[in-house]
Amino acid sequence: MAQTMKNRWAGLLLLVGILVVLALLPVLVNNYWLRVATGALMWAGLACSWNMLGGYAGYINFGHSAFFGIGAYATAILMGADFAVPFLATIPIGMIVTALFAVVIGAPTLRLRGAYFAIATWAFAEVLMQFATVVDFTGGTGGIGLPPFLNERFFYFAMFAAAVLTYFLTWLLFERSRFGLKVKALRDHEPAAEAMGINTSLVKLQTFVLSAVVASVFGSIFAYWVTFINPKSVFGGDITDQMVVMVLLGGLGSLWGPAIGGVALFFVNRLIWMYYGDTAFYIAILGAAIILVVLFLPNGIAGLFARRSGKSGSVLDTVLGRLLGSRQGGRS
Amino acid sequence: MTAQAPAPGDQPILFVRDVHKHFGGIQAAAGVDLEVGRGEIAGLIGPNGSGKSTLFNLVAGMETPDRGQILFDGHEIGGKKAYTIARLGLARTFQIPALFENMTVSGNLLAAAAEGHWHGAQQRADETLALLHLEPVANNRASDLSGGQQKLLEFGRVIMRQASLILLDEVTAGVHPNIRKIILEAIARLREQGTSFFVIEHDMEMVRNVCDRIIVMDSGRVVTSGAFEDIVQNSEVMQTYLGRPQ
Ligand SMILES: Nc1ncnc2c1ncn2[C@@H]1O[C@H](COP(=O)(O)OP(=O)(O)OP(=O)(O)O)[C@@H](O)[C@H]1O
Ligand SMILES: [Mg+2]
Repeated sequence: MAQTMKNRWAGLLLLVGILVVLALLPVLVNNYWLRVATGALMWAGLACSWNMLGGYAGYINFGHSAFFGIGAYATAILMGADFAVPFLATIPIGMIVTALFAVVIGAPTLRLRGAYFAIATWAFAEVLMQFATVVDFTGGTGGIGLPPFLNERFFYFAMFAAAVLTYFLTWLLFERSRFGLKVKALRDHEPAAEAMGINTSLVKLQTFVLSAVVASVFGSIFAYWVTFINPKSVFGGDITDQMVVMVLLGGLGSLWGPAIGGVALFFVNRLIWMYYGDTAFYIAILGAAIILVVLFLPNGIAGLFARRSGKSGSVLDTVLGRLLGSRQGGRS
Repeated sequence: MTAQAPAPGDQPILFVRDVHKHFGGIQAAAGVDLEVGRGEIAGLIGPNGSGKSTLFNLVAGMETPDRGQILFDGHEIGGKKAYTIARLGLARTFQIPALFENMTVSGNLLAAAAEGHWHGAQQRADETLALLHLEPVANNRASDLSGGQQKLLEFGRVIMRQASLILLDEVTAGVHPNIRKIILEAIARLREQGTSFFVIEHDMEMVRNVCDRIIVMDSGRVVTSGAFEDIVQNSEVMQTYLGRPQ
């Protein structure tokens, strides 16, 4: 018990330290590294949003870039000459559009086994990417530009605020409330969760909408930040791939895992880009990270720090079992 | 429906009439008729594959009956969603432990109360841990528990539901006598508070000790019911349905 209290204080101190350093970062580093840090915060936030459904509810979303892209396009289109909506007002609009799409996609597919959901979300993101390529209002393949606002500090603090809010919300909802208990219960055993009075379809849908809406916020900030987007740059499957690997490497279903995995992999990405200039090597590293996790680190990097009394099983085991249909056919 | 629902006054907590369920060619429930009274502990026995767990699944909403009537506490529940039935006050255990494996032992108990009686859940979880002697492993992952402890936790979750009727599917099967004793004490405690029980058991000692009345099933039907002594004295029943000549 005393040990637990000590660890809790140490953890809190570390967290405050990290937040202080992050808040002061703009005066500590140059613009290049500030941009890198902005990207790292974005990926940490995106990975966290993917983990809400993938890690806490156990449903693998292979099309999460769809929601990042909807947010990005909502901001890009609304800030254009036709509408001229101020940036901050585009964010909630993107969130609402995203939530509507998430309900329409999630309501029928979240009732199915995990593998069907994974395929359906993947197809959805592909369809959206093709759609954005062929219609006019998105600028088609050519993409769409946004009014440039070249203030690195603004974007750094925007991503910082979004990431802090995302992690705070995740902590509150998934680690400290009844809602989180219901989500984790249905991940681990859906029929048993139903037997405990939990409306699993509803809770899954709520989680899915939440994770989608958070991704759209990052999409909105991203579009304004980079001032130009195209279908590939915001809907691309590689965006989802990265979130998945970041979460697996950091620790599926843990609060801090996605932050650790997101920051670590994004820095590796930037370093490779600095020294080699291309990304094929990075993709090989993503593959290696997955193999490492599956073979040796089912609880990810975060799992190395957890005080575990035993070592039977992991969230990864549970989620893969469900995805491959080897568990919980619903029989008792 | 041909069967008439009983008057509300002496209404049993569970009332099952002419319930049918088939899986392909297997008739797992072939016209089940039974009742469980308020405050009663009713035992359900019968050979393997006689449809006991299927009956539980039908009552708890994991399966939909082909036809027939199921009333729980006066509510028609046949074919209703499992979570709806649970919220009416029915709780069940699973024959194969169905724990929330990545959650802690306390987490499992709290999750069971997350929908429903949440007020005071933390305190009730602590009391349940004490009652079931699970305090030393309260912060362990559920999947780290021994088989017997898993059965205890499975039972602990239904305690957290504060249900009016608890269905127990072989909770004491294969557990150490010490753990069986803990479970029996907990059942006695809950019964004092007015909880009704419907228990599937293969162990005759356990049936004799805890059940007020025994219901015998075979091939998807109730073949007889009555006090333990009467059932045991009926050697034909014992031989045919339990395969244990006395
Ligand atoms: N979901 C299902 N799909 C197909 N057949 C099923 C299903 N559930 C049960 N059965 C079949 O229905 C019959 C009754 O099974 P049930 O599990 O209810 O028996 P039981 O009395 O609980 O047996 P045991 O004492 O072995 O637990 C069996 O023949 C079983 O194979
Ligand atoms: Mg059974």
